[in-house]
Amino acid sequence: MTVEATPPVDLDAVDLSDRDWWAGPPERKYATFAALRRERPFAFFDEPVMPMIPVGPGYWAVTRYADVEAISSQPPVFCSGRGAVSIADMPADLHEFYGSLISMDDPRHAKIRRIVSKTFSPRMLEQTLDSVHAVVDDVLARARRTAQERDGAIDVVADIAAPIPLRVICDMMGVPEESRAAVLEQSNVILSGGDPDLVEDADDPVSAFLTAGVELAGLMERLAAERLERPRDDLTTALVATEVDGERLTHQEIASFFILLLVAGNETTRTAISQGVLTLHEHPDQRARWRADPGLDRTAVEEIVRWVSPVTWMRRTATRDGEVGGHRFAAGDKFLLFYAAANRDPAVFRDPEDLDLAREPNPHVGFGSKGPHFCLGAHLARRELAVTFRALFDQLPDLQVTGEPDRLRSSFVNGLKRLPARLTGAG
Amino acid sequence: MRIAADRERCVGSAACEALAPELFCVGDDGVVRVLRPEPGRAEEDVVRDTVDQCPTGALSLTD
Repeated sequence: MTVEATPPVDLDAVDLSDRDWWAGPPERKYATFAALRRERPFAFFDEPVMPMIPVGPGYWAVTRYADVEAISSQPPVFCSGRGAVSIADMPADLHEFYGSLISMDDPRHAKIRRIVSKTFSPRMLEQTLDSVHAVVDDVLARARRTAQERDGAIDVVADIAAPIPLRVICDMMGVPEESRAAVLEQSNVILSGGDPDLVEDADDPVSAFLTAGVELAGLMERLAAERLERPRDDLTTALVATEVDGERLTHQEIASFFILLLVAGNETTRTAISQGVLTLHEHPDQRARWRADPGLDRTAVEEIVRWVSPVTWMRRTATRDGEVGGHRFAAGDKFLLFYAAANRDPAVFRDPEDLDLAREPNPHVGFGSKGPHFCLGAHLARRELAVTFRALFDQLPDLQVTGEPDRLRSSFVNGLKRLPARLTGAG
Repeated sequence: MRIAADRERCVGSAACEALAPELFCVGDDGVVRVLRPEPGRAEEDVVRDTVDQCPTGALSLTD
């Protein structure tokens, strides 16, 4: 085992609530995670200041794999219902749109998850899974045409990584073509973490989130009502019709779930693709190895998800006093489970700072750790990534990253806004 | 070695199916089915790994 890379990190100078810190160099981020795991596995941070939202009491940053797992696997003690995707407790009007499955506890969570997982099983998704090939082929063909019009230049994010999951999700749900640009735009706002580049009025991100939620919910409620009248062969139809214990989802619940799906299904896969392309560019030997061996697809996809950790953290809140990993906590304490840090914990992963596309076993927490909130779309994401990278090797073998990525200023999603590239055969 | 699945704990994440599709399948009801409860000796490693990685601890092993 190699010694973990340890450039000196002054933990007292680190503020994980500083949005700009997250857009900084990844080496600094991972060195900081390593120092936190070693020295302050439960580090306390003040909450970021958000306009119009009262600042909460702060949070514990959890960076060790074992502690992330311990917290994640005890939902009665560490709940999601007070917020899972935001550090601040959400204002009630935002909760209405964003308070779906991911921010719910049992017994409600179990009930809704059962309804949803019936419509989201690998079997029910078979048709979608089959269509992923066609979507990816089409997106890559368009990317080549775009490159031909622009002297070979493309943006990996806008031309490849964003359209693939967007089309897969919209196809799956039956979102009409004319609404798709709006879906992309609103989901960008929701996951921007208030990045001024993506939120028009950066001084008022709460209003921007709310407007985005209202727009998406409106679109989805209309779609649900349409499918109830005229059923079609899509997920929306299945969701309006599915019952568990005689109970169906309300249109409001379906709208909230759709927002979750759109956001969770778009931004995460987009991030895995764009960051994956960048990662392979930075590791040309591993890229060549994967390209030559389709037998590596399965483990390579898992390693890309570990390496990238598209979702950096999820939040839990203590429902009572207690102790975890030697740390005393009080009811109401907030914990951010840093998957991106757990995924490089040397206690679990051999040579965690090395990319190894054949890594096995690879018990990464890129889809979440133990517990009922494990990613619902993991099998869809795995398929999208396997198909996309294989198609990139076959159809865009001349893809070359040509410039620095523009990183999202968000602690929550490890996203890229732009990744300049060229198709050298298209210039 | 025998695999047991707790259908109440299962949330249909299909993590098992991703790791060992020849042994596990999440059906139309959104809950896991164990296709071959008694795996062969050669499969024991992948089975242990899969049982360990079930996010809700719905899978278990008996000898």
